[in-house]
Amino acid sequence: MSQTQSSTGPILTTDGIPLKVSLKKAERINKIRAFLLVSPLLIFILVTFLVPIGDMLARSIDDRQINTVFPKTFEVYKKWDRKGLPSEEVYKTMFFELKNSEGYSVGKASTRMNYSKSGWKSLLKKSKRKFKKIEEGPYKEQMIAIDKKWADPEYWLALGQMVDPTTMGYYLNAVDLKYDSSKNIVQQKENRRIYNKTWIKTFKVSILVTLFCLLLGYPISYLLATLPMKYSNLLMICVLLPFWTSLLVRTVAWMVMLQQKGVLNNLLVMSNLIADENRFQLMYNQTAVVIVMTQILLPFMVLPLYSVMKTISPTYMRAALNLGASPMHAFYKIYMPNSVPGVSAGCLLVFIIAIGYYITPELVGGKDGQMVGNWIAYHLKTTLNWGLCAALGAILLAMMTVLYWAYNKIVGIENIKLG
Amino acid sequence: MRKAIKAAFFGLISMAFVGSAIADITFVSWGGAYTASQQKAYIDTWSKGSGVTVESYNGGLGEIKAQVEAGNVTWDVVDVLPDQAITGCDEGLFAKVDQSEFINDMVVPPVSECVVPQIFWAYTAFYDKAAFPGKKPKNIKDFFDVKKFPGKRGIHTWANALIEMALVADGVKASKVYEVMGTPEGIDRAFAKLDTIKDHVVFWSAGSKPLELVSSGEVVMSLAYNGRIGAAILSEGKNFEYIWDATVLEQEYLVAIKGGNEAEALEFMAHASSAESNAEQAKYIPYGPMRKSSIDIIKKGEPWFIKEGGNIDILPHMPTTPKVLKRAVIADPEWWADNGAEIHERFGAWKGS
Repeated sequence: MSQTQSSTGPILTTDGIPLKVSLKKAERINKIRAFLLVSPLLIFILVTFLVPIGDMLARSIDDRQINTVFPKTFEVYKKWDRKGLPSEEVYKTMFFELKNSEGYSVGKASTRMNYSKSGWKSLLKKSKRKFKKIEEGPYKEQMIAIDKKWADPEYWLALGQMVDPTTMGYYLNAVDLKYDSSKNIVQQKENRRIYNKTWIKTFKVSILVTLFCLLLGYPISYLLATLPMKYSNLLMICVLLPFWTSLLVRTVAWMVMLQQKGVLNNLLVMSNLIADENRFQLMYNQTAVVIVMTQILLPFMVLPLYSVMKTISPTYMRAALNLGASPMHAFYKIYMPNSVPGVSAGCLLVFIIAIGYYITPELVGGKDGQMVGNWIAYHLKTTLNWGLCAALGAILLAMMTVLYWAYNKIVGIENIKLG
Repeated sequence: MRKAIKAAFFGLISMAFVGSAIADITFVSWGGAYTASQQKAYIDTWSKGSGVTVESYNGGLGEIKAQVEAGNVTWDVVDVLPDQAITGCDEGLFAKVDQSEFINDMVVPPVSECVVPQIFWAYTAFYDKAAFPGKKPKNIKDFFDVKKFPGKRGIHTWANALIEMALVADGVKASKVYEVMGTPEGIDRAFAKLDTIKDHVVFWSAGSKPLELVSSGEVVMSLAYNGRIGAAILSEGKNFEYIWDATVLEQEYLVAIKGGNEAEALEFMAHASSAESNAEQAKYIPYGPMRKSSIDIIKKGEPWFIKEGGNIDILPHMPTTPKVLKRAVIADPEWWADNGAEIHERFGAWKGS
């Protein structure tokens, strides 16, 4: 009887609990333990990575600053036909909302309004100070008497861009477009179109730097991987020593080397290769940015290349040569395909670092070497236009994601190797 | 026994909290010779000065805004530019201060309710005397005249002061500059003037760079902060000469960050902005005090600048003497707070085109 029961019913452990349940319980404890082990890392990533990026993305479309300060004004503003000047009602609502506003909300709002039309900032500040004296209407004339800007329809039209709590305005700004007063997308004024040029420049510089790093890094890594230990160690030190040197020191050293009265130009003039008045302009332009960034980012190409090349067995090449391939052919057919994972890792690494570079272009870029990173820094620090910074940053992030996706489709991400 | 230990323990703890004689504030400024002068002039002379931690930054409100927004304020007193003083005060990043002590003693009225006066500094042109053995450049027109004085010019990478200088070089009176800048045509005119030297400029962004550019002969003349030029002449014996024309005077202020150690910060700022402290600073760096009475103290005290082997007259190196002021432009921070972003973008487009 007992035998039949045990063969048909669930298997029990000694304390009478079904084995399955017991096993599950034990596994769950293990799972919880594993989760607890990784949770510090998970929380770390969440707090230092995902939350800031989420915050950045939110900032890039957030446009509530003004809507919370002038909610009623915007309600009556929406009824305005955007011709001539708004009605007395709009002026009146604006007057009271500005006069009765408290704390720093107006300051923040005026900063935002100033992005759409320069001049709002001082207009609001001055007006708020003087509104205290005005007791009764009509308000339109009195406001215009305080500052003529109130009679300038441009200022009122600029408000039209801000009626919604979210905006694509920052993204438009980041690609030289803008909203007009009725929220149609139009081109930015010609003398303010800078971002598209900067994007192209940033890409150009990053691609050139990646290319030069590959051209220079490939032979070095090959040597590193194939030379006998005692030489390759020395060579490795030569690669790593600059890597460990401060970025600023290296950049400034290049400035000494390349400037017009610098080491290189002096040598060329001294050896009579060029005339004194024809010294090369190698510093404070895009050329300088490419040269200096290539040197600074070279280790990021050499190290992954080296670690991959180190794993390519020399017997492959010997076998190819043995079977009658010419050295060139053997290199092209055998060595190069084997080193592709290193090449892609190096290129991706260098490109990603290069595209967000900021300090080197700032120092050696001069007038045409500024990249997107420099504009982000400018708006972050000086204009406090963090919305635009966030939009520029988000576009960079999106581009990298697209690049990564394309790379995965073409080369396959499993083909990337750092060692 | 146990009671005694307990009493001693709490005694110690309360001592840590109840006011000690040294302050606990962080003072953030621009570094270099400038911060050194601040250290000597009013940190060392303050009774609680040994508790002041000094840090450097590169300007801008980004870090301050981040600290205030995150509720983690580690800076207490910061040395800021006037347009930042306006924006930061408007946005509630700075604490308001009592200005009654100095408000009637200032060369120009304070830009906001959050500031105490520091110094006037100036963008001014200069050259190495050795670069011009014959005729020497005398005014800003010469700086913009590459035919009369061939060679490269050093200018900074942002638009402030350049617009003003370009207009004066184009014939606008120094006192009328902001009137002209208020119109779009005025800005076009300034950029047109900048176009004339565009192919002859080298850009700098760090304050020490123009001195290096002029010393090495990379440029024949450059714009620079007057204090840096003065320091190079006074302390390093450089053979530089100022071009005191269309000198653009900028104000510099101290502010207390909201949510920091405001009580001690304000106490420190009161000390730092006294007429004596303002004058004292000029012993170490040739920037102009913002308080009228400080200038009187210096005038009486000349030779004021401290140097080994005999002090030197400091007034000839200051941007606030009547002689310089007559031909100078006092920068309008309000104009720049309004138009800075737009002009800077246009300037960026100009640089890149």
